[in-house]
Amino acid sequence: MGHGEKGGRPFKKFKGAAKFEDSRKTFAEDDDPYGGDHDAYEDDEGKIKDFSQLELKPDHVNRPLWACDNGRIFLETFSPLYKQAYDFLIAIAEPVCRPESMHEYNLTPHSLYAAVSVGLETETIIAVLNKLSKTKLPKEMIKFIHESTANYGKVKLVLKKNRYFVESPFPEVLKTLLRDDGISRARITSEGAHGDGFTISKALGEIEGTHDELLNQAEVAAAAEEKEAHAFEIDPAQVENVKQRCLPNALNYPMLEEYDFRNDTVNPDLDMELKPQAQPRPYQEKSLSKMFGNGRARSGIIVLPCGAGKSLVGVSAACRIKKSCLCLATNAVSVDQWAFQFKLWSTIRDEHICRFTSDSKERFRGNAGVVVTTYNMVAFGGKRSEESEKIIEEIRNREWGLLLMDEVHVVPAHMFRKVISITKSHCKLGLTATLVREDERITDLNFLIGPKLYEANWLDLVKGGFIANVQCAEVWCPMTKEFFAEYLKKENSKKRQALYVMNPNKFRACEFLINYHERARGDKIIVFADNLFALTEYAMKLRKPMIYGATSHVERTKILQAFKTSKDVNTVFLSKVGDNSIDIPEANVIIQISSHAGSRRQEAQRLGRILRAKGKLQDRMAGGKEEYNAFFYSLVSTDTQEMYYSTKRQQFLIDQGYSFKVITSLPPSDEGSRLHYHHLDDQLALLGKVLNAGDDAVGLEQLEEDADEIALKSARRSQGSMSAMSGAKGMVYMEYSTGRNKGQQIKSKPKDPAKRHFLFKKRFGPT
Amino acid sequence: MPEVRIIAKNFMDMVASMPAMKLDKLYENAFICEAILRSLPPLAKKYVLQLLHIDGPVSAKLLAEWVLPDGLSKHKVAIDRLVQLRVFVEALDRKNEKTYKVNSTYQRSLQNLLVHGGTLPRESMPSNITVRLLTLEELETYALTQWERFLLQLISPSQVDKNLNISSSLMKVFQRRLLSQRDREAPKLTESGFQFLLMDTNAQLWYIIREYISNSEERGVDAGDLISFMLELSFHVIGEAYNTDTLTDFQRNIIKDLADLGLVKLQQGRKESWFIPTKLATNLSVSMTESSSRKEGFVVVETNFRVYAYSTSKLHCEILRLFSRVEYQLPNLIVGAITKESLYNAFENGITADQIVSFFRQNAHPRVAQRIPAVPENVTDQIRLWESDLNRVEMTDAYYYDEFPSRDVFEGACDCAREWNGLLWEDSKKMHLVVKSEVHPYVRDFLRRQK
Repeated sequence: MGHGEKGGRPFKKFKGAAKFEDSRKTFAEDDDPYGGDHDAYEDDEGKIKDFSQLELKPDHVNRPLWACDNGRIFLETFSPLYKQAYDFLIAIAEPVCRPESMHEYNLTPHSLYAAVSVGLETETIIAVLNKLSKTKLPKEMIKFIHESTANYGKVKLVLKKNRYFVESPFPEVLKTLLRDDGISRARITSEGAHGDGFTISKALGEIEGTHDELLNQAEVAAAAEEKEAHAFEIDPAQVENVKQRCLPNALNYPMLEEYDFRNDTVNPDLDMELKPQAQPRPYQEKSLSKMFGNGRARSGIIVLPCGAGKSLVGVSAACRIKKSCLCLATNAVSVDQWAFQFKLWSTIRDEHICRFTSDSKERFRGNAGVVVTTYNMVAFGGKRSEESEKIIEEIRNREWGLLLMDEVHVVPAHMFRKVISITKSHCKLGLTATLVREDERITDLNFLIGPKLYEANWLDLVKGGFIANVQCAEVWCPMTKEFFAEYLKKENSKKRQALYVMNPNKFRACEFLINYHERARGDKIIVFADNLFALTEYAMKLRKPMIYGATSHVERTKILQAFKTSKDVNTVFLSKVGDNSIDIPEANVIIQISSHAGSRRQEAQRLGRILRAKGKLQDRMAGGKEEYNAFFYSLVSTDTQEMYYSTKRQQFLIDQGYSFKVITSLPPSDEGSRLHYHHLDDQLALLGKVLNAGDDAVGLEQLEEDADEIALKSARRSQGSMSAMSGAKGMVYMEYSTGRNKGQQIKSKPKDPAKRHFLFKKRFGPT
Repeated sequence: MPEVRIIAKNFMDMVASMPAMKLDKLYENAFICEAILRSLPPLAKKYVLQLLHIDGPVSAKLLAEWVLPDGLSKHKVAIDRLVQLRVFVEALDRKNEKTYKVNSTYQRSLQNLLVHGGTLPRESMPSNITVRLLTLEELETYALTQWERFLLQLISPSQVDKNLNISSSLMKVFQRRLLSQRDREAPKLTESGFQFLLMDTNAQLWYIIREYISNSEERGVDAGDLISFMLELSFHVIGEAYNTDTLTDFQRNIIKDLADLGLVKLQQGRKESWFIPTKLATNLSVSMTESSSRKEGFVVVETNFRVYAYSTSKLHCEILRLFSRVEYQLPNLIVGAITKESLYNAFENGITADQIVSFFRQNAHPRVAQRIPAVPENVTDQIRLWESDLNRVEMTDAYYYDEFPSRDVFEGACDCAREWNGLLWEDSKKMHLVVKSEVHPYVRDFLRRQK
């Protein structure tokens, strides 16, 4: 594996990096929420890591952090230097957990790569870290930083006039690279080259002053000086391969991608500015400053919680670069939202922005513009209509100034490869709320897009009143005797989920919460259920509108509109489709009655639905009138699998400093008789219904966008229907017969209408 | 902390359980009288002071009239305590009515103390002999380190680099109820051992001192002498030096043990040697309600179940390991995590959720101590829920019946059990029946009658 192992120090995240080879081979698997626990805490189980011999500095009280030689860093948040230390650490290390008083970080090769790519130099990193540390820095850590960064930032990938160049101020480094078979094969030798065949040009040196406040003058060594840049050209088709060869687990010269947009005279400028009322918040400003730190645009990922204003960051980036921009979203609804955001925040003229989905195949006028589309539209491999073929051709041929990618965490690596190989862009910006995937394929993003440029601290945003302060609660609903007896029976193994979701006690808790929040507080409520059977049962019984995969775009819009404006519609039931594609800023309560096993990402995404801050800023600020203004309830049936999953699901949010309060007595006993299923007979009738439903009927809803690998492989099924691929039409949200483990079968899913889910049968008419 | 009081009471119980002769002898010492006074419940204190200058007996009725009806239970407690300690002497008057009188020895000593003030048997030494004495902070640090060393040696002798002077036999006495020692096995903390570690320093001290005294007879030391010396010691001034020559041989022996516990610091001058009482010594006679010494807290518990303890002490590390998984040890920080496994382990060893939570609360780092609650609610809730999870199965002693001769008899037996509210389970198909064991005789009788 990597050199981290050679040093005998098991760097956790590094293993993830080395894993990427494997994960490439195992594309076909779905996102695996059941899979191995990659929890950072679980390393070296039970062993105490003893660093008590580290020497404390005499003034250690005034310094905010401890650094251990295995890369772990502890930061006191009550230190007066916290803000500076946080900004610095988030640049050089991966946050492990960030609750209120003490943060933990991990130094990893990837995080150091990110640090170097935002312009921090090895010596600066060590000097600042040493300044902040309570102890003398462990020698191993210094060595590790040296080793990890020695090669970083030396090689850049530059796109000039539609040709890719590998550029470096050090010709010997380029020679090292060319000794690699893969890279030398990818090289395109130009005519008239001299000597070693490298082209030589002048490039600007780094100007970086972000952490100056922590260093004295002498230490700010990074001076702007002109350096000679040597370069050779490579085959565009091989770009990804070359980048991959340069990663730490291979040649270890990770490439930085930068775009000197100000000096780009080839690509036409796009006339767009931020409107004056678009005032980026401090953390948005900071994330942008990381991206544009040296006057060029860096490729990378910005991580902000949902509702914290990711779109403004995206639009601002596009406005700074002022070149053509390709914006990729996950589905047609968010395409509309992005287009809206561009018009809302920037002065872009209507004819310069266009949407490309199955429904609207617009084209911008002039020689530069913004195109908003979905990943599926670009990556689609099948036959296209003539019209969209033309648009795709245009997208392919254009040299994009900015490739703006929304929700990068949900799109599989494979899809990225395709999108990135199809489009040529100078700079890629990925936006996401949660950089977690259960399959740890997140590390792929590091080379596909770039390093993480910035990650906001959720609690700080809550304290600043930028996102809602959410009270999270886990409601324990004991299984009723009858349901539990069935749950334990072997022959019901396929119905387990349905049984614990339909648990009458859970239903009653849900009903109680809905009543309470609708009546007592006048809140707007979303109820999430992954299980379609439960979703319909609950929604029907409680007479609330519901949206799931098969709900048409028109109907969705109608329901959401009613939810937003009508006083009578305060609760909406959503299936998985609501996890991230539907924007419902009005909602401030979430009740989750079933979920996708142990997926931490889903939990965070769902929470994100209610994070958009509401009301007056001063009320939300620390010490303001409202302590909590949003509520997240997760209902779990005790003594079932759900308990285990729910602990796992919450891990990400807990690491961000959220805490789940356990509620054990819902509904309160005096409310009991007013709710449904109060009588045993009703409960037994419900039980009978669950048991009599077919096994497929009670399974999980499977959406294509979650199972993209599968969707792509079985693309032929929806051949000719662009709308399906863009997610605009209901058809895209197909229901798969059983749980995710049957992934292989899904590929060969027959089109036989008789086997369609009963809910779909209605939609497709009698067969 | 409730444990503190139990043990404190026990200490005074020990005084109370001494024979009347010895007790009267103890009361000749004014300091003991004062210490006893301090240990009394508030109402009892008032009675003592009120009756201090009354020489004759006072009728119990009169005393009872002093309190409002709802204070009667407190009144009883106070009187009982006073009688137990022989501060009040009970007698019957001519009308055969109960009267109380203050123990005359006690009365005399306390009167003297109030009138003339207490004089210690020894004066503190002039500073020209002792040269430089420790500052109060230094002394406190010394006392606490010494105490910690003692505790560490007490619970895991292997962890200590330098052994204390306390004889191993005495150490065994202290460990008696805290550690279980099986053959060839490393000693393991017992349930009360865990609880002991979670107590605050004063409560621990009381416990050890109590063991020390109750074992004294075996060592050929008079318990009364021991108690009187220790209580007397508690009236010395912290930080002052007292010449060791003023002690009796008996006391000189004891003071060495007390030095090991951190109650006094022994120092050797050019010619003379002296001892300096620390806060631990003076706390011995302070009434328990006031004495819970406020040490600066050091523990931060986060919402993600991480525990950060600002401490260099091995003892703290050992304590944290009782109920959390210690992951990192930094020069001045211990990092751990509360997990279900670590807590189950703790519960199995007899530690309760309340003890763990109150340990976190009492030792909360000043940064989080002002926060309400100091320990995140979700963590305390979860600790309690995990504990109650273990208590979901309830055991009831019961009897099982089968092979009933007829359905009538079976149903009769069921009714009988139901009547006595003792029917736990019945299977009418197979005619099986389980009843509470206390109902068993009735069911048995019923069945006999059927034959």
